Amino acid sequence: MRPDANTAEVIDLAREVPAHDPGAVPRVNAGLDSGTLITLLAENARTHGSTVAMRERDRGIWQEFTWDDVLSEVLAFAAALDEMGFKPGDGLLVIGDNRPRLYFGMLSAAALRGLPAPIYPDVPPDDLEYYAGNSRARFALAEDQEQVDKLLELRTRAKLPEIIIYDDPRGLANYTAPGLLSWEDLVKKGRERLAREPGLKDDLINRAKPTDAAVLLHSSGTTGKPKGAILQHRRVIAAARNAQAADYFQVGDELMAYLPMAWVGDFVFTVSSGIALRFTINIPERQETVLHNLREVAPTVYFASPRSWDAMLTHVQVGIAESTWLKRRLYDWFMPFAIELERKRLAGHKPGLLSRIAYAIGDVLIYAPLRDYLGLSRAKRAYTAGEAIGEDTFLFFRALGLDLKQFYGQTENCALTAAQGSGDVKLNTVGKPLPGVEVKIDDNGEILIRADSVFDGYLNDEAATQNALAGGWLHTGDAGYMDDDGHLVVLGRVGEVVYTMDGERYIPTYIENRLKFSQYIKDAAIIGAGRDYLTALICIDMGAVGHWAEVNGVTYTSYAELSQRPEVYKLINGVVRHVNELLPPALAIRKFVNLPKEFDPDDGEVTRTRKLRRNVIDERYAPIINALYDGSGAVEHETLITYETGATGTLKRRLAIYEVR
Amino acid sequence: MFYRLAGVRHTTYRSARQLYPIPFDRYLLYTIVVIAIAAPFLFSPLTLNSYLLPWVIWSTAALGLNLLMGWAGQVHLGYAAVMAIGAYTAIHSVRAGIPFEIALILAGLASAAIGFVFGGAALRVKGLYLAVTTLAMQSIVDWTIVHVPAISGGSQATLQAPTLRIFGWPIESDAGRYWFALAICAVVTSFLLNVSRTSLGRALVAVREKDFAAAIIGVNPFKYKLLAFWCSSFIGGIAGAVLAFCYYRAVTPEQFHLEVSIQAVAMVIVGGLGSVLGSFFGAGLVLLAPIFLNNLVNDIAVALNLPLHAEIISHIPLVLYGALIVGFLLYEPLGLAKVYDNVRNYFFVWPFRHARH
Repeated sequence: MRPDANTAEVIDLAREVPAHDPGAVPRVNAGLDSGTLITLLAENARTHGSTVAMRERDRGIWQEFTWDDVLSEVLAFAAALDEMGFKPGDGLLVIGDNRPRLYFGMLSAAALRGLPAPIYPDVPPDDLEYYAGNSRARFALAEDQEQVDKLLELRTRAKLPEIIIYDDPRGLANYTAPGLLSWEDLVKKGRERLAREPGLKDDLINRAKPTDAAVLLHSSGTTGKPKGAILQHRRVIAAARNAQAADYFQVGDELMAYLPMAWVGDFVFTVSSGIALRFTINIPERQETVLHNLREVAPTVYFASPRSWDAMLTHVQVGIAESTWLKRRLYDWFMPFAIELERKRLAGHKPGLLSRIAYAIGDVLIYAPLRDYLGLSRAKRAYTAGEAIGEDTFLFFRALGLDLKQFYGQTENCALTAAQGSGDVKLNTVGKPLPGVEVKIDDNGEILIRADSVFDGYLNDEAATQNALAGGWLHTGDAGYMDDDGHLVVLGRVGEVVYTMDGERYIPTYIENRLKFSQYIKDAAIIGAGRDYLTALICIDMGAVGHWAEVNGVTYTSYAELSQRPEVYKLINGVVRHVNELLPPALAIRKFVNLPKEFDPDDGEVTRTRKLRRNVIDERYAPIINALYDGSGAVEHETLITYETGATGTLKRRLAIYEVR
Repeated sequence: MFYRLAGVRHTTYRSARQLYPIPFDRYLLYTIVVIAIAAPFLFSPLTLNSYLLPWVIWSTAALGLNLLMGWAGQVHLGYAAVMAIGAYTAIHSVRAGIPFEIALILAGLASAAIGFVFGGAALRVKGLYLAVTTLAMQSIVDWTIVHVPAISGGSQATLQAPTLRIFGWPIESDAGRYWFALAICAVVTSFLLNVSRTSLGRALVAVREKDFAAAIIGVNPFKYKLLAFWCSSFIGGIAGAVLAFCYYRAVTPEQFHLEVSIQAVAMVIVGGLGSVLGSFFGAGLVLLAPIFLNNLVNDIAVALNLPLHAEIISHIPLVLYGALIVGFLLYEPLGLAKVYDNVRNYFFVWPFRHARH
């Protein structure tokens, strides 16, 4: 967020971006000769057939797939799908955690000019029904019994999908539902068909065109119903090439695929860059083993959300806090030293000889062991995106010797719009636009993008497509500006700018993120639109606050009880006061409440990507919000809880309201 | 701090089961192996012959005893007798014109056969009673060797070991004898390292923990106790033969008396029951600590010009040595191997207190 005084500057800078001739960037015709993911895959198999393309940790060891294996599985599955009547434009729902066969299946569907639609495995049934209907998904590919059950239930409601293919047969032996097939059977059939029809292989490789869909991604439903963005082959390949040109990726990088398959980043990194730049993709055994498997993989490129980086930092700090005397002392000296050094380095100072020697000693004693412990010792490039990363976290990992950088992007531009360059990192920016990407700020301060990687439209939503691509530019809906060095600064959503009663302008997310930079706060919601002053709803972080409570002798039995302890209120008060110091006085947070439960996607308070749903929060916590402004010192609150079984219950609590001082 | 685990991944079960999956452990091992092989060039003949050579041979013996005591959980107070059988068998065989390699096997087999017979007692008795039974073996073997001139050559006799010949090549240098002992030690060590990963090792451990519980899960205690005595005695016999040929180059009954058995037991216990590394540590401490303490006490006495009687000076190291062993066992009852393990763990989880994830 920026103070009002700079608004004029935003507009000025926008004018400085040279006016473009729309014809100079032939987006419509761009990438027609770039081939498809399938032809690139076939090319990889031809030139590097026996190189390892994928590793999956299964039954304790890393099972390897070469490029030949990948191509042969993809084609065999495609041949079988084709035989079963999979038509161009048909959707293939792909649901489950990252698994090689789910990736193969997506490529097979793309090879048949269909719409592979990966879906978050924990998606609510209503959304699932919407996705299935929107993509006319007659076919679905599921990871295991859990997902098959979900799809079978979907079929009773929506008559879709007709055919369900599963990867892991465990627990499915006695299922008699029609149209339920195993991956292995289908691939066997596909291989037989390929052996029978000699021309089929080439036909399948060349059937898809660069203008066909490579993937259908439903954007997160932060506001209203999600939209399905179609990314064409040429677009995702252009994104990979842009990233390569920016030295963001290199050919042959080693990558860990653990982020949700339905997230655009996973598709662009794992599948399109993976094929275009011949990565070795490593897939963890399960979501719970990601950290452990990460250490075994030691990838050369690593991506994690700011939240994961925060979690890693907390993990390290908690470990150090309970470590032995000497180790703790060494850490307590060397880590702040490195962070301070990094802060100065970012400000442009060159470290002196003594500092460099001290850093080298610290590298042996602390930094290198920590990098090794986190599995990032080979990570030449580490990235984060999605939301702003906390300064402490960012500096910590850079101080460790990781080249952690932020980038910025959206589904509609294949995740890659701007990225910080090596040696050109500024704390509050997301870096310069990637080569091949043009960024412009319009008069409202909205960020506009034009690039070969920008998508071509939403599925079945002409109006939204027109809005997003008006005038040949992608309208991101993000507010931002270019700084003097040509770095892009992203403030928040254009629609998120709100005003207090006195007309003070602010973006709640911005303040919330500052609060969340504290390890003790997991989530926060800032209230204040049309009010006298700002207040906050706070969800404490169970791990960090729980540990703090243990160390400080504060007893508790549950999250709810811990959150209401006066000592914890005092702790959070300190955090809020620190954030207030960074804010203009008119935007200081005056009061806050610790909520007795975390925000949960199952309760609809946050999206699957953990973005706040403000309307839900405003409605559900209305009594608390009123109490924050009517001067009362506490409030009775009933929370509605949705259990994982789908049952609901209520939790009644008396919540203290704390005045920041 | 030195241990790097990132990027250690296994694509086959074979590699996942390797002995040293962590690079630093491997480098440490390589370094030690290189030093051990290059020792004749690195150290003075005194160091080589008086310290390293007996250390290597006694480590081999301790490994054999550890198999029985540490893995199978059977006490043995007559291990010196087992070694004596090996030593005398080997010398008599070579004197009878049998090639040394075959004599070495015969030594092992003879020890194994007699150890096997006494081991049979272990099927009926346990714990202290077994200790007494093996003590009886020590006495019987001692008595037999001394009183049968065909074996000992007479009660005060010393039997000279013939020149060591391997595949017909005479080995007469100190380095050659050291390398031979080292090679035998390496073979026994790799056997012991691998025992834990085999059905034999697991069966032995099952018998150690509770023999009737092992029987219930289908491990035959009868078979495995005998097997443990057999293997252990075989190694003991070989170690005895190597000791006779490479180190003493002669045998007398005194070399294999009860106190030597007690020393062997001390090596295993101080080193760490059931630990390969512990056998080396134990042998090192039991053999070398008295020498170093002796030198130390002498040096101090000379430096401080203490007017001490020579007899007192010679007894102080023994007192210290005893205190050292008691101290180690009080501080870490699981032996020197556990001490090493603690140190290794301290660095392994650096900079944390314990392994996490």
